[in-house]
This record gives sequence, C-alpha cells and structure tokens, in this order.
Amino acid sequence: MGIYPPPLENLIRHLSKLPGIGQKSATRVALHILKKPKGLAEDLSRSLLEVKEKITFCSVCFNFTDQDPCPICRDDTRGNGVICIVEGPGDQLAIEESGFFKGRYHVLHGVLSPLDGIGPDDLKIAELLMRLDREKISEVIMAMNPTTEGEATASFLGKLLSNKQIALSRIALGIPMGGDLKYMDAMTLLHALKSRTPLRP
Amino acid sequence: MNAYMSPAIIMRVKEVGESDLLVTFFTAQKGRLSGVAKGARKSRKRFVNALDLFSLVSLEYAPRRQGNLLLLESGKLLNAYPGLRADFSAFSKASYMIELTEILFPPGVSEPDMFDLLNLSLDALSRGEKTHLVPLVFEFRALSMGGFRIDTGRCARCARPYQGEGTAVFLPETGGMACLKCGRPSALSPPLKPSVVKAIETLQHRPFREAMKEDLPEDTMKTLRVVLKLHREYRLERKLRTSKYVE
Repeated sequence: MGIYPPPLENLIRHLSKLPGIGQKSATRVALHILKKPKGLAEDLSRSLLEVKEKITFCSVCFNFTDQDPCPICRDDTRGNGVICIVEGPGDQLAIEESGFFKGRYHVLHGVLSPLDGIGPDDLKIAELLMRLDREKISEVIMAMNPTTEGEATASFLGKLLSNKQIALSRIALGIPMGGDLKYMDAMTLLHALKSRTPLRP
Repeated sequence: MNAYMSPAIIMRVKEVGESDLLVTFFTAQKGRLSGVAKGARKSRKRFVNALDLFSLVSLEYAPRRQGNLLLLESGKLLNAYPGLRADFSAFSKASYMIELTEILFPPGVSEPDMFDLLNLSLDALSRGEKTHLVPLVFEFRALSMGGFRIDTGRCARCARPYQGEGTAVFLPETGGMACLKCGRPSALSPPLKPSVVKAIETLQHRPFREAMKEDLPEDTMKTLRVVLKLHREYRLERKLRTSKYVE
C-alpha cells in the first residue's frame, strides 16, 4: 500500500508510465494537479481524449495531424521536390522549429532495429517509395539521429534509393554548437573534419 | 563504494526518465551487466558518444546502494565499429551475435574469451572482412563456449571413433553425429561429408583469427548453416528474433 490515498496513487502510477516521467516527476505533477482548481483537471482530461480522437496520421508524410493531408503537405509554397526523412514526429518538429527547411517531410516512425524485431517492413519505407514514384522528387535528405540504428537506417535507405535519379544527402555530423573539442570522441572529430566547410570571409 | 573501469561492449540502450539511459553491456571479467547512466542523454562530457549500440567503450561503473543495477559514472569510446552503421546486413549480423550472446551468457556468467570473440567478430564485420564467414565462426565458437559444442569425435549411437573418413549424419537431439550404420540422412539429420566435419572442428576449436583464414567452399558453408540452425534451435529451444534478418 502506498503512502498517498488510492486515487492519488493511481494518478501517479499512470503519469509515471509516460516517457521521460519518473516516479518523482509523476508525484510532483499529480500533487500540482491536485492543488490547482478543478478546471485544470477537466481541461487536461478533455485534451487527452480529444488528442486520441482527432489526431491521425497524415496520409502523405505520416506525421500526426488533425487534418488530412497535414498543413505542410497541403502548403503549395513549400519547396516541392525535396523530402526530409525523419525518425519520428518529434524530429520533424525540431527541424520545423529551426525555420530553415522549406521542403516536405516523411516520417518513418522508427529506425531499423533487428534486436527489437523492427525491420524494413515495420517502417513507412514502402510508403516512401510510393511517394518518390508519385511526386517529382529531386532530393532526399536523411535526417535520422546519428545513433547506430539511425545511421544503419540511413545507409539502408541510401542503398535502396541509389538506383533512382534522386540526389541523396545526410545531415552533417560533428561538433555541436557550444561543444568542447577536448571532450569529443574520435568518431565525432572524424565526422567533423570530413564534413568541414570552406570558410568564406 | 568501489568503482570499476573496464572495456565493455554496449548490447542494449533504453531511454528512461528525463535524461537517463538504462544500458546493458558485456565485459570480459563480469559478463553481462546492466546499469543506469544518469543524465547521459544530455551529457557533453561524461558519455560523449560512448553509449551507442554495439560500441566498444571504456566504462566506469559502481554498484548502487540498492538494487542490482549499477551506476555508470563515465564512458570513453574505443571503437564505434563504423562499418556496422554503413551496412544493414552487417548491422543485422551484429544484432544476431548480440542476441545469441545474451541467451548463452545470462547475467552472472562470465567468459573472458567470449568478450574477445564478440569484439573480434564485430570488428571483422565492421571492416567488411569475410562477412559471410564471421557469423559462422562466431556462432560455432560461442555455442562451444556456452556449453553446446558439437561432438565430432565419435558416433553418438555406437560410440565408434570418427577417423575423418566417410559420411556421417548430424543428430540434433544428441548434439553430435552418427555413422551411417546408426543414422540415416534426412532433412532433420543432414549428411556431413568429412570436409564438413573437419570444418566444424576447426570453427569450434581454433581461435577466431585462425578460423577466419579458412576458405570454405559454398556447399560446405551451406551445410554448416543448416547444421547450426538445427543445433541452435534444438539446444536453445527457441528461434532468435534477429535470425530472420540474417538467414
């Protein structure tokens, strides 16, 4: 039996199932909800249900959306012909927030991971190939994370698309902004030196 | 509390909490271990690129006051095996070798030679060296170290010593082979030519680098793969999750 009353324990238990929220954070959130007026809990529960009912996958890029196709896929001003492939919706959001990329996206919903039983058929790869045939794509940018699985996925897709008349590129890898060279590993330094760019004063 | 530092191969990584990682790794002296790397996902100093899947790292860890999980203090990348990231086939083979290691060496079972075998095999795969042979050499050696060596010395039924002459048949249920008087070739008991029996002995007993010098014909390789599959599935009583990506 927990130290809190059962309804509160129940809320903590459910919150701690969410990614990035441990037992302590769940307790803090639950106590916060308890302290605030009832309206917060009502709004929160309504939002939770609404998100499950209204959010679906965009039938073009497979990002989450409440309209199909999503606003990005419907936007005629976005540079057609360039697709940026990302692992998940969170990665798409991060690139979109940078405001630099003006092309379209394709969300794979994961990376290749044989240890977890995830192979090419478990990702939105077939849908990507159909898109490439359907839309006039001139460039594909691989924006998977630089992890072992992310890079293996990018290599796999690179080989798969190599016979198509499409420019393939990978986002640059190297020293992050605010990083410190003396703490970098050999692999990062190697990538940074390989991907160096000419300095134009 | 005592802290340890040793080379380790990262077997699995799972995100937990806001910035922590739950890491399973394999060491020479203590076998398979698991630990929590606090704040590793935001770390720019303690774990820079060190906790990526299948990497060889120098890992510093200490026991925690409670529970079985260790506390990972820091890590330094020694070899990221870059070739595994550049080729899905090599990546799948590496995944297969890791899964087999997990099954053969549960936590608490250490085998220094197994660490060397895993390290050398991942390195050979990464460098693209005889990548068709690496999984075979690895699996014969790993099964052998895990206590599932195939007995090629005698007939499992009549105990007649095998002198390296004539065809034998593989008997998965005995973990060995039988002479043609005691066993009949079938899909579940493939015939073993003397050259195949010799190859099994070589792959089971010779050190990795020596075994990798073997230049086995394709028909021998094919038979060895069939034997391994039958042997593995009978002994381990399961099909590996990663096997569909390498078979």
